[in-house]
Amino acid sequence: MGAWRHFPIFMITLPLLGAVLLPFLGYARERWVPYAALLPLGTSTLLGLLLMGRIPADGFLSYHLGGWEPPFGIEIRLDYVGLFLMLVVCGITFLALVYSRRYIGKEVSGGQRTAYYVLYLLLSGAMLGFVATGDIFNLFVFMEILALSSYALVAITGNRNPVRAAFKYILMGAPSSIMVLLAVGFLYSATGTLNMADLARRIAESGYTEVLIVSYILLVVGFGVKAALFPLHMWLPDAHSIAPSPISALLSGLLVEVCAFALVRITFSVFTLRSSDLVMGTADAVGVAAVAAVLYGGIMAILQKDLKMMIAYSTVSHVGYIFLGITAFTAEGLTGAMYHMLDHGLAKACLFLCAGNFIYLKGYRRIEDLKGAWSQMPWTCFAFALASLSVIGIPPTAGFISKWYLILGNVKGGKWLYAVVLLAGSILAAVYCLRVIYYMFFQAGKEGAWEESWRDAPPAMLAPVWTLSLATLFFGIFSSLLIPSLLKAAAYLL
Amino acid sequence: MRLLHNYHYAAAMVLFCVGLYTVIVRRNIIKKLIGLNIMETSVFFFFVSLGYLDGGIAPIHAGAADPARMVNPIPQALILTGIVVAVSVTALALSMVILLYRQYGTLDVDRLMREEEPEAAEGGKEE
Repeated sequence: MGAWRHFPIFMITLPLLGAVLLPFLGYARERWVPYAALLPLGTSTLLGLLLMGRIPADGFLSYHLGGWEPPFGIEIRLDYVGLFLMLVVCGITFLALVYSRRYIGKEVSGGQRTAYYVLYLLLSGAMLGFVATGDIFNLFVFMEILALSSYALVAITGNRNPVRAAFKYILMGAPSSIMVLLAVGFLYSATGTLNMADLARRIAESGYTEVLIVSYILLVVGFGVKAALFPLHMWLPDAHSIAPSPISALLSGLLVEVCAFALVRITFSVFTLRSSDLVMGTADAVGVAAVAAVLYGGIMAILQKDLKMMIAYSTVSHVGYIFLGITAFTAEGLTGAMYHMLDHGLAKACLFLCAGNFIYLKGYRRIEDLKGAWSQMPWTCFAFALASLSVIGIPPTAGFISKWYLILGNVKGGKWLYAVVLLAGSILAAVYCLRVIYYMFFQAGKEGAWEESWRDAPPAMLAPVWTLSLATLFFGIFSSLLIPSLLKAAAYLL
Repeated sequence: MRLLHNYHYAAAMVLFCVGLYTVIVRRNIIKKLIGLNIMETSVFFFFVSLGYLDGGIAPIHAGAADPARMVNPIPQALILTGIVVAVSVTALALSMVILLYRQYGTLDVDRLMREEEPEAAEGGKEE
């Protein structure tokens, strides 16, 4: 019983604890808040890295909160896939927080800055807990913390458009949360337990009764809204494009994926009778929605004039990829989906932070304004180009690896059509990404648009951007570090 | 006859549908929030009725109480958390309604959202 068994709970509670303590610091020394906020997240990242080798790919770490045995107490059930996603969350939230100091210092007025960091830590802690928990009511609670803090963060500036976007998000997000709560109620009424492992055992004994069928569908719809699966995505483009850039990076790069992962959890760890009509039928419906998402998101992204809007629609399309990987029901497909969560998180966060750099320095949001940006902001432009390659899925980047496994998984599952759609999605991505790159590098800017003295974003903003974009390259070249374990873990989940 | 026996579940579902209908159909955003609260209340009602027992007593094992008559405390404990969550969502949403009304001068969701396209481009640029 080493101390490392306690690491998962510290990873979750440290950011939450930080969120409680920050307002006091903000009251005394407001200027220290951005630095102090790094501390809990940095510690969480470190603990996660220390935990990395200790959880086997075909096992899990079960931690009992307060020492209460699982079916009665709350359990934290961390398997390899969960730890992987927790590390992705830690890493990206940490980098976006480093970026936040300068950006938020300019965008958000004084009184709200401490609130921003408090909400930020709440959001990060909730995402970590959401991934790790093994209790279905606890899952709901973390989802609500996560949703509430993200509603507030979208609207943090208090201007017209952000508040409206956040309100639209609430109008879709809150009913979906209630659906999840109702589904939890149904599950509890049918089985008398809230622990996921216990639920799985009892559901396997009883088979699917009507109540369980309804609750599964409610869960899919509820998490589908939060994960912005195609027909339920309406809130995403507004909220993600209007939020402050570091928040866009979190919402687009992590929150959506974490919610998709909750669906993986529900499907693979709770409703374990996978050959049944219920799971297969739902998977078919979700698959069709995901195909629509890939194509619709790609086409809408091409049509956008606003850079952040384009990246947001690209997220709609990439959520489709992740769901296509999940519905393939093969180890390769699931591995592809998990790896896509990593590289989509890195690349999307990088793109949004680059867009943030343009807004921070020049206030440019429209794609047309970026003509000739290369001449003045080369570092930002190169990072943007590298991340775009990963979004498209061009070989040395991580995007290629995940797309490869997604396609392989769908082909192995006999779903040729989906594999073709995945390829078509890449072509659409190439169109919308390369257009921006073409504008940046090969077009002359308008008179006076870029003619100040050579001035890129400050190092505190460039460092996170470059770390993210180099990480997409690193995980593309050294994919063998993670892929074998992920394959094993995916086979174990299946 | 099972439905008659379990009428409280049916009532909860009817309330849920009323709430969902209100959220989707009503155009006034405050009415939408009321619909949201009706949905939440219906789910709370469903949970609490799960643990209900005719003539039940508090589940305290210390005395010589009869365990068969004790109510199930878990749904109530869950719903306490649920109520806290619901109140926070409502409070946040209402504070946003105030901001929206100050800036747009309307509570009609269609008019709020219709101003979308030109505003988003314009407002975005000046930020």
